[in-house]
Amino acid sequence: MKTLALFGGALLALPALGGAVEELFDRVDESLTLSAFDDRWRARLSGLLDLEGYFFQQPTPGLLNTAGDRLFAPRLTLFLDTQFGPHLYAFAQSRLDRGFDPGDGPARARLDEYAIRFTPGDDGRFRLQAGKFAAVTGNWNARHLSWDNPFINAPLPYENVTTIFDREAPARAADFVHGLNEPKYEYNPVAWGPAYGTGLSASGQLGRFDYAAEMKNTSLSARPESWDATEIGFGHPTFSGRMGFRPGPEWNLGISGSAGPYLRPEAATMLPAGRGVGDYREWVVAQDLRFEWHRLQLWAEVYEARFEVPRVGEADTLAYYIEAKYKFTPRFFGALRWNQQLFGTVPNGVGGRVAWDRDLWRVDLAAGYRFTAHTQLKLQYGFQQETVGPHRSGSSVAAQFTVRF
Amino acid sequence: MIHRLIYQGPAFLVVGLARLSAQSVIEGKVELPKTHSAPVMNQRYGIISVGGVLAPNPPVAVVYLEGTFPPAAGRPVRQVVQTNFTFVPALLPVQVGTRVEFPNHDPTFHNVFSFSPPKRFDLGRYRPDERPIPSQIFDKPGLVTLRCDIHEHMRGLILVLDTPHFATSDADGRFRLTNLPSGHFVLKAWLSSKTTLEAAVDLGTNATVHRDLP
Repeated sequence: MKTLALFGGALLALPALGGAVEELFDRVDESLTLSAFDDRWRARLSGLLDLEGYFFQQPTPGLLNTAGDRLFAPRLTLFLDTQFGPHLYAFAQSRLDRGFDPGDGPARARLDEYAIRFTPGDDGRFRLQAGKFAAVTGNWNARHLSWDNPFINAPLPYENVTTIFDREAPARAADFVHGLNEPKYEYNPVAWGPAYGTGLSASGQLGRFDYAAEMKNTSLSARPESWDATEIGFGHPTFSGRMGFRPGPEWNLGISGSAGPYLRPEAATMLPAGRGVGDYREWVVAQDLRFEWHRLQLWAEVYEARFEVPRVGEADTLAYYIEAKYKFTPRFFGALRWNQQLFGTVPNGVGGRVAWDRDLWRVDLAAGYRFTAHTQLKLQYGFQQETVGPHRSGSSVAAQFTVRF
Repeated sequence: MIHRLIYQGPAFLVVGLARLSAQSVIEGKVELPKTHSAPVMNQRYGIISVGGVLAPNPPVAVVYLEGTFPPAAGRPVRQVVQTNFTFVPALLPVQVGTRVEFPNHDPTFHNVFSFSPPKRFDLGRYRPDERPIPSQIFDKPGLVTLRCDIHEHMRGLILVLDTPHFATSDADGRFRLTNLPSGHFVLKAWLSSKTTLEAAVDLGTNATVHRDLP
């Protein structure tokens, strides 16, 4: 309690110290930026320190990975951005936390992203990137970091685990539709967060259009343990792409697609005879929209996904969200997000068909306050309701304090 | 000339007399810090990136005359342009009461804001051809740090001064203040929020004084 009071007092003091605190952070930034060879080579080290707390009802919402009803998840993220002239750019992101998704595991350090990018021309028409990096699909990945997003958790398509299970194949259709019997973290969402898979991408801008295409080692739904090329190779790659159109600077409309096998190698022994993991794909078609005007920002994404499930057939789902953020004052903002996911039917193994998971909706409400240009506090409330079956519901409260340097 | 102005009206008389008593000049050189910043743009998740190499910011000084002067006549208007994902100029001195416009010359949105105590504001996200050009009036002296909420590397400074007599040095530190009144003043050179050099100066009528700082 004393720690909390001290923390609260320090937060309240921040605006009063604002000018001095901002200067301190700016000096740190300058000291972490280096250049050489007449400024042709430059590098900048920056980071985010997130202190997150969650209170929730079991089952845990989204990808929270704990058996309790509360969680403290601190996270230190370091970024390295470096460029050599106008044509070569590289970046890396490493994290020290209790798991890629908030959990109660031991502290671990990981290299989550690294990539090198070659831009041959000066007009942004074409660029080539190789490494381990966020998927090019949709519009949430570009704003998934804590400082850039008004919410603490991800929208439903990026974190709601479904009955899809990538480590095993069901022995019969009834096993698949039986529900979530394993620990929740064993199952997969439509897209697992920013999906930092390993591979190659090409992207660019042509007038009002922009495009991106990538080949990665894993599908969008793949769990973080699969993203490394040392874990999953390129024997069964996933191909994804996005085409964007900007009718004006306020708008960005996009359509994305992705196709690739989603089962991990250990599932191979459980597949029907003569079939391999490459025969069972996740297909995704998504539309995204972004609008921004003065203090208002809007985002929306619709994901239609199909999983080819061994011995079951095609399992379809539609997940979408619409999100709005409004800056009430230079420091204070609020955000509202409506999420929903609907599931199709699959054979139940006894001649009928049954929905392969429970439809649900979730509403998220968030408020944020920037004490300085480098410190931010966000509070979020979420309520989730299943609309079929036992109509389970649950709510969660989260707080996140972020220091950006 | 005075004779002609008097006959043309009292307003011309005031301007003419002020000009006659404001002909002194101070010129010199400020020793600038050796360091310069070469910022790096974060392009991790941008699908589009045109260019991407930001212009380095050589250190410059703002040299000004401290004293008691009449407030600015009218409301001066200056501009800080957002171009190639930088603020230009990176350091703008203005007199208290100046309106500063922030035109966006990049092909994408910018969101200029400041949390600095002399002026807190947030212009929101606005497009390249935004009209009227988003602006703010800087009515308190002090240092205002400009930032962009979309592009974290962007940083600019507005130094709001309580004097009409100021100039920005060139990259070698040379400066020239003109049209100065006669009297005893303090000449200051602002180098950073931590470093301001100063020297006393006595200005006669139509005098040219050479003064280096330090």
